[in-house]
Amino acid sequence: MTDFTIEIDNASKRYAEHVAVRDLSLRVPRGAVYGLLGPNGAGKTTTIRMILNIIAPDSGSVRILGRPSSDRSLTDHIGYLPEERGLYRKMQVKRVLRFLAELKGLKRDVADRRIDEWLVRLDLKTPEKDWGLSKIDELSRGMQQKVQFIGTLLHDPDLVILDEPFSGLDPINAQALKDTMVELKQRGKTIIFSTHLMDNAERMCDSVCIIARGEKVLDGPIADIKTGHGSRNVALGLNGTPSTAVGAVLSDRSLVHRVDDSNRYFEIEMAKDADPQALLHRIMATGASINRFEIVHPSLHQIFLERVGATGVEVGMTGHG
Amino acid sequence: MAKLWAIIKREYLERVRTKWFIFATVFGPIFFGAMIIIPAVLAKRGQATAEFSNTRILDATQSGVGRRIAEGIARTRPPGSSAPEVILVPPSALSQAESTATRQVMAKQLSGYLVVNVQTLDGEGIKYAGRNATSLGDMERMRTVVRDALLSRRLEDAGIDSSRVRDLTFLPLRLNTERITDKGRGGSGTVSIIFAGAIAFLLYMSIVLYGQNVLRGVLEEKTTRVAEVVVSSVSPETLLAGKILGVGAVGLTQQILWVITTVIMFKLRGPLLAKFGISTMPFALPEISLGLALLLLLFFVLGFIFYSSLYAAVGASVNSEQEAQQAVQPMLILLVATAIFINPILMNPTSKLAVVMSLLPFSAPIIMPLRLALGSVPWYELAGSLIGVALACWGATWLAARIYRVGLLMYGKRPTLREMVRWLSYSR
Repeated sequence: MTDFTIEIDNASKRYAEHVAVRDLSLRVPRGAVYGLLGPNGAGKTTTIRMILNIIAPDSGSVRILGRPSSDRSLTDHIGYLPEERGLYRKMQVKRVLRFLAELKGLKRDVADRRIDEWLVRLDLKTPEKDWGLSKIDELSRGMQQKVQFIGTLLHDPDLVILDEPFSGLDPINAQALKDTMVELKQRGKTIIFSTHLMDNAERMCDSVCIIARGEKVLDGPIADIKTGHGSRNVALGLNGTPSTAVGAVLSDRSLVHRVDDSNRYFEIEMAKDADPQALLHRIMATGASINRFEIVHPSLHQIFLERVGATGVEVGMTGHG
Repeated sequence: MAKLWAIIKREYLERVRTKWFIFATVFGPIFFGAMIIIPAVLAKRGQATAEFSNTRILDATQSGVGRRIAEGIARTRPPGSSAPEVILVPPSALSQAESTATRQVMAKQLSGYLVVNVQTLDGEGIKYAGRNATSLGDMERMRTVVRDALLSRRLEDAGIDSSRVRDLTFLPLRLNTERITDKGRGGSGTVSIIFAGAIAFLLYMSIVLYGQNVLRGVLEEKTTRVAEVVVSSVSPETLLAGKILGVGAVGLTQQILWVITTVIMFKLRGPLLAKFGISTMPFALPEISLGLALLLLLFFVLGFIFYSSLYAAVGASVNSEQEAQQAVQPMLILLVATAIFINPILMNPTSKLAVVMSLLPFSAPIIMPLRLALGSVPWYELAGSLIGVALACWGATWLAARIYRVGLLMYGKRPTLREMVRWLSYSR
């Protein structure tokens, strides 16, 4: 048994018009929460589809749980939540879930028991109302997403792949999803999720891989990545609206190389050889009320912007979407 | 295999559960029944009825011809009806009697009256007026009866004994038609044409209806992205096969239910038609041998697979119903072209047109069953047709599987024909 759930070596996938993935290699450790980060069209979905064996790489190899990805028996160990969710709209919730479970080789009685457990757990089955008996149509968007999530996990997969799982979720459902992901990890499951929400990725992932234009930009454990990008960053928090004097300090190129301005919170990359203490003094001199001043590793968000090449802080690009 | 079964099961059950399926399955035979009964009701005017029981014969000849005619009508009348009434009138009072009778017909006290006069005795003419005067069957019967009556009077005048005359002229002739084929007797000619037409129509309808159904199913899975989830569990080929087999099974179920109810209705048609006042003609259902039944089934299955895999390919390559409507045109043209030729081929099942259409793979699944139902087909033509359809089926599924596999996960712009040709070479 290998220590890696996923081993991709030099995989490429070409379409007539463009190269979707070029010479991609990555390792996903067993039991890790792994983030697949990248802008739209970077090749995330193609990579996920190669892992799922929906498409095969033109060259290179993809191994899952130590077996070649073309091994059909693998599908029963993988759970997949696609980016744009959809279910048979006219079908009853329980029947949809039973069908998805059968596709993963689950016996009907086992499936029915687990469906009930999950429906109760995610509040889709309460003493007042059993949404399992409703048609998908009759559910709200959030409930449909829960159903789809149940469908992904019914067969208790060892590898869970979530494509943009947080997009379109309200805070309550997002929290429920996060809780479930943490619990899955504690039970030793490997979770891969793609996202362009860097805050989420930074908080949840053990390791990440950033891809852009079909190529890997960097990958590894988050801690290593951040250390590797130095500690020349300062997190600055202010009380109240910053004055123009603060703005003047922050635009001093001899002190500050770059700043990510979130109005009352700033992530500052120091200029070469500049002293953070000097910055602190200058800001205090403006009379601003400081509630946070901390020398930090750059955030994943900063690293992403820096490495993917969108040095668009000045033009207001934040990468959030 | 269990997964293929899960897909077939879902496709089948979800469709059979719909209101539309239940509605069509129940009302299909009633609709067919109506198609049989309504023409029969309309044709009632053309058939012999019991109407003569309430007619009046105005005899102005003093020759007894009126009585003879009444006897003739009475001999052929349906049981339970009374013989016509004969009134002897002097020629001078005839027009008065006619207008009285006309009023009575108008008041529905009489259904009609017959005027026998001197011209009638000469064999020149006779007049009938009544509500059933447009009924070709009734009028033909009346003509025959009058003719017989006049003939027997002439024979008696020529000195032949009256009882001999009656025996000699009684000739209730009925023309029974029977079709003979290479294999022997094959039931009534009309019935087998209706039967063959019904089979071709049923096949055509099922393929169009359920082919569209496959298309809509594929499109639904693609647009809702369910397809992505499913193909992460099974291969696209399995999904495609499961869909076609599941939908095909629905079509087959419906047809079998239709045939069963139709046969039951046919057996019960006597009492059923009697409610509409129609007496049934004695004709038997065509005999369907097991071999013929299996051949029909085989052609349906192959034809359905051929068309539905093409429908599935279309469904996978488009992004909306509107696009699908356009993309499906070429196949609809093939199907409609076939349907147009059903009638001419029914009329002339051994023509060159019929032979060619039953060999071309796109029309064979409909036309060959039609020819088989009409009678014998040379074995080599049958074999050629089967092989052709089977090969076309293989080609269509191969093509469809490739287009389906790529198209299912391709969103956005509708592919051009050239792009789709390129898809064929994609490995995966």
